[in-house]
Amino acid sequence: MPIDVTVVHKIASLARLKIEPKDEERYARELDAILGYVAQLQELDVTNIEPTSQVTEGAPPPLRTDEVCAFGEREEALGQAPDRDGDYFTVPQVV
Amino acid sequence: MSADGILASAEAIAADVASGKRSAVEVVTSFLAQADRTADTLRTYLHRMPEAALETAAAIDRRRAAKESLGPLAGVPIAIKDNICVRGVPTTCGSRILERYCPPYDAHVIERLRAADAVIVGKTNCDEFAMGSSTENSAYAVTRNPWDPERVPGGSSGGSAATVAACEAPLSLGSDTGGSVRQPAAFCGVYGLKPTYGAVSRYGLVAFASSLDQIGPFARTARDTALVQSAICGRDARDMTSRAEATPIDLNDLERPVAGLTIGVPRAILDEAGDALAPSIRAALTSAASAFERAGATLIDVALPHARYAIATYYLIAPAEASSNLARYDGVRYGVRRGDGDLRAMYEATRGAGFGREVTRRILLGTYALSAGYYDAFYLRAQKVRTLIRQDFLEALGRCDAILMPVTPTPAFPIGEKADDPLAMYLSDIFSIPASLAGVPGLSFPATFDATGLPIGLQLVGRPFDERTILRVARAYEREHDAASRVPPLAAAGGGAP
Amino acid sequence: MTKSGAAGNAARDRYEAVIGLEVHAQLKTKTKIFCACSTSFGASANTQVCPLCLGLPGVLPVLNGRAVEFAVMTGLAVGATIHPRSVFARKNYFYPDLPKGYQISQYDRPLCEGGGVAIRTAEGPKVIGLVRIHLEEDAGKSLHPEGREGVSTTRVDLNRAGVPLIEIVSEPELRTGEEAYQYLTKLKQILIYLDVCDGNMEEGSLRCDANVSVRPRGQAEFGTKTEIKNLNSFRYVEKAIAYEIDRQIALLESGGRVVQETLLWDSARGVAETMRSKEEAHDYRYFPEPDLLPLDLDAAWIERLRASLPELPDALRARLVRAHGIPDYDAEVLTETRALAAYYEETAARSGHPKLASNWIMTEVNAVRNKIGGSIETFPIRADRLGDLVGMVAAGRVSGKIGKQLFEKMLTDPEGPEALVQKHGLLPIDDDAALRALAREVLAANPGPTAEFRAGKEKTFAYLVGQAMKQSRGRAHPEKLQAALRAVLAEESS
Ligand SMILES: [Mg+2]
Ligand SMILES: [Zn+2]
Repeated sequence: MPIDVTVVHKIASLARLKIEPKDEERYARELDAILGYVAQLQELDVTNIEPTSQVTEGAPPPLRTDEVCAFGEREEALGQAPDRDGDYFTVPQVV
Repeated sequence: MSADGILASAEAIAADVASGKRSAVEVVTSFLAQADRTADTLRTYLHRMPEAALETAAAIDRRRAAKESLGPLAGVPIAIKDNICVRGVPTTCGSRILERYCPPYDAHVIERLRAADAVIVGKTNCDEFAMGSSTENSAYAVTRNPWDPERVPGGSSGGSAATVAACEAPLSLGSDTGGSVRQPAAFCGVYGLKPTYGAVSRYGLVAFASSLDQIGPFARTARDTALVQSAICGRDARDMTSRAEATPIDLNDLERPVAGLTIGVPRAILDEAGDALAPSIRAALTSAASAFERAGATLIDVALPHARYAIATYYLIAPAEASSNLARYDGVRYGVRRGDGDLRAMYEATRGAGFGREVTRRILLGTYALSAGYYDAFYLRAQKVRTLIRQDFLEALGRCDAILMPVTPTPAFPIGEKADDPLAMYLSDIFSIPASLAGVPGLSFPATFDATGLPIGLQLVGRPFDERTILRVARAYEREHDAASRVPPLAAAGGGAP
Repeated sequence: MTKSGAAGNAARDRYEAVIGLEVHAQLKTKTKIFCACSTSFGASANTQVCPLCLGLPGVLPVLNGRAVEFAVMTGLAVGATIHPRSVFARKNYFYPDLPKGYQISQYDRPLCEGGGVAIRTAEGPKVIGLVRIHLEEDAGKSLHPEGREGVSTTRVDLNRAGVPLIEIVSEPELRTGEEAYQYLTKLKQILIYLDVCDGNMEEGSLRCDANVSVRPRGQAEFGTKTEIKNLNSFRYVEKAIAYEIDRQIALLESGGRVVQETLLWDSARGVAETMRSKEEAHDYRYFPEPDLLPLDLDAAWIERLRASLPELPDALRARLVRAHGIPDYDAEVLTETRALAAYYEETAARSGHPKLASNWIMTEVNAVRNKIGGSIETFPIRADRLGDLVGMVAAGRVSGKIGKQLFEKMLTDPEGPEALVQKHGLLPIDDDAALRALAREVLAANPGPTAEFRAGKEKTFAYLVGQAMKQSRGRAHPEKLQAALRAVLAEESS
């Protein structure tokens, strides 16, 4: 399945990325080349091979105890927001 | 300030500060002065912190005067890659989308460094969100290689590697997802360690690919590398993937000879690389192997049959995780917001303009790899191949104590050379990515220089949580060769801007 | 309401509805599922937040052990299989109240699978199977402007972001809105018995989405389903399902096709309508959460939890029937909550009359609770006091009527019934001399009716008894009072 502008447009939309039409073509070419390269994985027989999503082994760490610890630098954190209404974050209305 | 001052090892500096031979302020001042001379040319930093550094140094000096005991990195300047959170200090990850972002907390490694009395001097340039191999993908600056300013320092931790190479700081931290510490270390002629996955807490490291990301140190000696690693490693309750198996390294262990150790060399990989592997690097590898053999190590051939699939595997797994990790940059709670109109328009404008080309490309790639209908063929298959790659390493490391291999196929390449060919850029990570996928530690150590004077680094890959052995092997080589004692001309004392 | 619906009764009989519910229950932990922020309800906006639940760069989730415990307890209570290994996954989508751009949930390897919830239906008992129970984090809250002119921003409060939830997915085995109501009631009861969820729908600690489809009776394949959201009470769930079943049948009967879509229930108008927003096809791009390890549970730990589970509603009900000989219906009412059952058991034991104790709680106590609201824990009359009262009535120490008076007084007076009887002079009057004195008084005060009675109007006697009883404020012993009245009437006429 070759990557064309339509596919790029679709995944860009899924990823919430605005891409100029001329760039869509370029990304389509680049992604097509990369996916062409990674297609070599299809030549391997991976039957009965477990996937590795993490390499961590051994005893799992203890889970967190359920004790409240309030974050002290709240204003420092909220102050990073590009737009606020009092204590609320604000965003343009969801249409 | 003498060149000796900025050429001194972190270990020596800490000893001097602790004994009162030099003050921390004096030490910090000398490195700040060096950075004043070279940092603008090299563009190593995105944010320098001279006042804060001098304040910290003065506090250390006061504590010494009060006869308080000091930490193992007392008064030693350290530079921090800009994807590691330092409270109240801009942390942009080289991205426009975080242009004004200051984290309200310190990363685990920063807490540890402060506890060790290290002095943070600034935030170093990097490829945007650590995605790249040249530091050309930073939204703010292109960092230059101190050995040849027309060449890249490597990436993504290019600023951290270059600042240590140029003696602007004796130490720095970078992060390595597919080679981002080891490759710039090799390009810049310094030590760079990618610890075992889980050896260092990722708390406070801005995520790129969570199952691969590790923070690691840059230094100019093997012992300094071990010193930093010892300060930052170990279990942290804030990172469930951090492990107690990671314990501090006894520097005396590094002085033990390599006699009796077995070192594996993956001949097939080197053969397969053919012309893509620069003769200078092939020669350096052969020469290092013989040196180890002469020192009493046993050399064996090891097979890593699936390593050739590492790049394909990596460029599915890493972008997939990245596409999710970077979803939080939406212009709502922090960062730069763009666009007007409805919510969706705001999202798309903010993210469209906030991310650079490489980041956008990888988000697209990762979104595609995870999307319905492609998951099994791409992401899941890549995870299975990852299993095979990890098995290869664990089997090989069952037969030897360390694997000796290249870090990169070539020395530092010219700025702009691969900027327009993402696949070519990706392929240059062929030797660093396999150990990342396997989760095992990899150390880039300065081996020698090529005929044009560019540094050549080699890689030692070790068993999980056995950083000490690869550092010990590198230390043995260092005792004989000490390639890192050479200083780039532009960084040498008295040298002006190139 | 379906009686007057769009589909006729005959058409309705030709179809069968297939309903599955997805319930999100907030676990009663002190802290969020992946950070140490408080979960308490009603705090002012964005006060219970930290770098993690704000989705700041660089922070990592750390799993709350208590949340796991609560989820496993729920699984055990409904007879689900608890998987020794489950895996957290990221569900990726963009929304302002989802700070990381993904929800950490469980996907292909949930914590619990199978199990069921027993309900009572018109056709008898029925077990509704469960597909799964998994752990996940809640999102924050988006406050949308309500059509105000010139206002175009949505406000976001992340206090709720990261609150632990379990999602309980039923098999599509429910057939009516009423069954759905029963299922939810039972599920909530179990959660409350386990003390893992407070079951408060107003505060959003229990939420429900319904999947509804219809098919011609006898057909094995499912019809096209719709999902109904915004169901803020169990009654709305019931109504919305009935509404949607009816709509789908009418649509099919008129030759139309059901479209797979998400509907929002409008409780004010009693209709379910298509969500306005243009939904793009969901592609959540699930993948295993790399920041969390697979959740490995120790078999011995699970068994310890199983052994320490509290008695559940069904078992408790059976035990009440067995131990106290009360009807199953009574036991059902009395096991509404564990506290009510405990209240009953104490009352029954103290009174020595289990069935009478049950009657008093089901009528008097529950009537007051319905009026003033509130749980049995806050009921003003202690169980031992109510037991004493029931015992007094049972022993005939006070009449039922006086008993009710005492009950009223006990609602505001913390003293025991015996003390109140003394305090208010409520002891029964059964002394013959006193009753005769009372009779004389009443006859003197009612010369007319007395004359009528004497003139042979027997009916008037009841009136005179009533007047005498009233005069005694209900304390007079009924039979003895009648005897006294007749005696006085007889002696005066002689
Ligand atoms: Mg859910
Ligand atoms: Zn929090």
